[in-house]
Amino acid sequence: MSIPSDMLTIPTTCPFCACGCGFYLLANKGELVGVAPSETHPVSRGRLCARGWAAHEAPLWGSRLREPLVKRNGTLESVSWAEALDHVTGRIKDLIDAGKSIGVLGSPRATNEENYLAGKLARAGFQTNNVDFSYHSICRPLIAGLEEVTGEYACSISLNDIESSETILLIEGNLAKTHPRAAFSVMKAVETGARLITIGYTRTQMASLSSLCLQTAPGGEGEVINGLLAGVLHLGLEDRISVAGHCEGYDALRRDVGAVKMTEEMQRAAEWIARAKRASLLMAPTSGQGDQPRKDAAAFATLAAITGHLNRPGSGLLLLLGRSNVRGACDMGVAPDRLPGYQPFYDGRSQQRLQDLWGKKLPSARGLDAESFLQSVSGLIVLADDPPSVLPMGQRAMAAMERMESLVVLDAFVTPTVGAAHAVLPIASFAETEGTLTSMEGRVQRVRATTDPPGEARPGWQVLAELCARFDVRVSFSSATDVLREIAQAAPRYARIGQRMLDEGWGGTLAEDSARGKFVLHATGVAALTSAERPQVLARDGAFDWGRDPLVSFSPTLSRDYQSQRKLFPNGFVEMCKQDADELGVRAGWQVKLTSVHGDAVVPIQVRTDLKPGVLLVPYAFRDHVANVLCTDSVTAVKVEQA
Amino acid sequence: MQPIVLTIQKQEIAKWLEKLLETGEVIAPGAGHCGDVIFSTISSPAQVLWDFENPLHPPKQFVLPQTDPIVAIKRNGQGHEVEPIYDDTRRFLFNVRSCDVKGIAFLTRMHEMEPADASYLRRANSLTVISLTCSAPCPLGFCVCSDSGPFLSGGYDIQLTDLGENYLVEVGTEKGEAAVSNAANLFRTATEGEVSLRKRLETAARNRFGQETCHFASAMRRISTGRVEDALWEKISDWCLECGGCSLICPTCYCFSVKDRVRDGDWIRCRTWDSCQYAAFTLEASGHNPREHRKERMKRRFFHKVSAQYYVRDGTVGCVGCGRCIKVCLGTAHMPAVVGAIRKGKWHE
Repeated sequence: MSIPSDMLTIPTTCPFCACGCGFYLLANKGELVGVAPSETHPVSRGRLCARGWAAHEAPLWGSRLREPLVKRNGTLESVSWAEALDHVTGRIKDLIDAGKSIGVLGSPRATNEENYLAGKLARAGFQTNNVDFSYHSICRPLIAGLEEVTGEYACSISLNDIESSETILLIEGNLAKTHPRAAFSVMKAVETGARLITIGYTRTQMASLSSLCLQTAPGGEGEVINGLLAGVLHLGLEDRISVAGHCEGYDALRRDVGAVKMTEEMQRAAEWIARAKRASLLMAPTSGQGDQPRKDAAAFATLAAITGHLNRPGSGLLLLLGRSNVRGACDMGVAPDRLPGYQPFYDGRSQQRLQDLWGKKLPSARGLDAESFLQSVSGLIVLADDPPSVLPMGQRAMAAMERMESLVVLDAFVTPTVGAAHAVLPIASFAETEGTLTSMEGRVQRVRATTDPPGEARPGWQVLAELCARFDVRVSFSSATDVLREIAQAAPRYARIGQRMLDEGWGGTLAEDSARGKFVLHATGVAALTSAERPQVLARDGAFDWGRDPLVSFSPTLSRDYQSQRKLFPNGFVEMCKQDADELGVRAGWQVKLTSVHGDAVVPIQVRTDLKPGVLLVPYAFRDHVANVLCTDSVTAVKVEQA
Repeated sequence: MQPIVLTIQKQEIAKWLEKLLETGEVIAPGAGHCGDVIFSTISSPAQVLWDFENPLHPPKQFVLPQTDPIVAIKRNGQGHEVEPIYDDTRRFLFNVRSCDVKGIAFLTRMHEMEPADASYLRRANSLTVISLTCSAPCPLGFCVCSDSGPFLSGGYDIQLTDLGENYLVEVGTEKGEAAVSNAANLFRTATEGEVSLRKRLETAARNRFGQETCHFASAMRRISTGRVEDALWEKISDWCLECGGCSLICPTCYCFSVKDRVRDGDWIRCRTWDSCQYAAFTLEASGHNPREHRKERMKRRFFHKVSAQYYVRDGTVGCVGCGRCIKVCLGTAHMPAVVGAIRKGKWHE
């Protein structure tokens, strides 16, 4: 057997995290064979992380959906596209006619075009605001906190800006693993003398590069942020021009942090941040009960505001969003309370604009978020999302999907959600479709079709446009570019991205409105989690499990660590420090019983050396093993006993 | 074979390329997206770049693809049928730089070692390497430190040198001879003046390398005699984000993984690029990992690259000085930086 070649080199955008790197996908005779870096890409500049280097693997090796499937007598059978679409339309219409509610899940793994059409299908087609994406439950507090202070949900710096910072403040979520490209920028800055301050509860790689590591307990990040706010104000280092000209609530802030405990280290850090001409403040999702994470994010933005970094070019704040198109999904209005452009759903002007554009009245009732509507809807359309793998309460999401009367899944890959589906519509993966992604710094960039989708799979935007048409929603698209043109009308910021930038360049950045309004300042509240009776806390470690994302789990190179960990620890584990393990009389692999106000669970432990006594961590991947203990919290007080 | 030295007028190059296109695939550096330079299959001589910086993605993909099908496994009744997959398409790799010629020669030597790798060798033997010498160092290159450029004295099939009006054409192998013989009328024997001009150009190019060199010799002494402290590896490895880019992009790296692809009920066994810097590279089925920590993997990589043990076996350090790892490193732990740290016993101080 001999194989002559027919090489293709197609520029595209990385589908993994939200850094927005670019590279070439290589194909030979219609099959993906590899990845080549691009030196001219403004974000990646020739550098890729392990995930980027293996981006071709999941579409090539993964379990792919090749033909439409419909569940009959309990098994999924392959059917024609027409049959599948008829089935889906019929079932959903029946449910709507019966007065039952429908939900739509978009995805940060899908393109802007697909997400936009998913939102349009929900609002114009199904007349519901029950539209969201699973990962939103993790990043919503971050975005909301920033918006509360700045009135904007967009970040104010790019990854390249980080490299010229004098001071970097990082709320850790293990940046080296979650956003390697961002970690590179931090490293570059530190190499040239920048001071890195990390806030976190483990000794991460970034912490080992830091000038100052402010170690805290999970859920204690807010305490440190408050300490930094107090430090700035105590030393009189607030940027007076910013505070006088742009900030509201300054006096209240002074009062709120007046009694805050502040260590010498916090004062030093506050001084570094406030005195830096250029500073980068990077924030990963934090843990905490109830509203705590949103308040922490608001306090973090407040710190950036009072030190003047939000008013200085090249200085500012960046939210570390986990998945490639989180920003895009938000911009496309894949949120129960937001319309395209991330405008509030009750905003009259936005409503009018969309009604004119779509020729349909919009639903007026407030929608529910993904976690909630999964429990209440009877019919669900899932676009490239997988709630059991993404949502904090994975098992509960799975149970909810198994209860659905009609579950329709559009995906390129076989996920656990597909297993519960009543109808499956196979769509192209990122390597086989056209569209755009929006990175966390607001770069809109194209993904391009390098090969044909497998079997009968079709580009997602085509399938969603067909579904829209079947629900009497006006659509006339002959390409993904046509969809983007309509997006530019629905979310006017996208009108600034020229087609030439997308086609001939590496995309463009959504320009922020230069005249920023007032910043509304907030300190965060600090809730005491532990008591004498329950002196220990259990926290979810991390905010996303890449091991169960199809782009990783189907990649032979990337899935190895994750698979091995799952095989070695079929019952999961929680981590504790040596001192706690010794006091309890347990060793690695032994079981402990954890009890919280929500319930209890028995799990094996692992011992690690970089934890504070009293802190137990459960990796996000194993969160379901302690679901009874954590319930909806990301951190909770627990009693620990030998089991 | 006896080296043959010819010249070809620049305006005749297109005709030669046309001839080569008739006999096989021609791969050359060409314009990618937005000013990138990438190796790709050309269909017309006009696509070939002559004034370019060496592409970041190395031409090793044409002897060792990132995904390389090597065996087809089919069901046959109760048993299985195994058929090797060969790629012996005739290819001409045009305008490849000296460092990359050395890289391909290094890989071929590795795959010739017993047991010889038939899949690799069939592809490599069908490839004719036509290199273009460098009249000036590229910004990050240090090929002079590992005897891999800017001009080569062997290892190429054909070596071109820009003499102004003409290219000097040094033919080093029979494959090279075959590539010029089917367009023999385009070439003439080089004059003595042209040969000595090439020598002067080489000297001038060498002299243009500044102090920016990679001190392999002293690093080799330290690394081979165990005089690099673990604490140093740990410090260096804190500046590595485990992207694997250094090994994937390295013209001399050939670590691989094997994985079967299911296709229409049969299997295609593929060799895929892998990196010794990935934690799971040495992960064993039991869950044990002999190189669990980053510092151990980094130590292993540089031991393989610059230790005396491997130098004796391979006759060279495992580096051709192309400088790609500097551009691609998603940290700061590239070859010159680490070699410098080993030599000085210090990192970022």
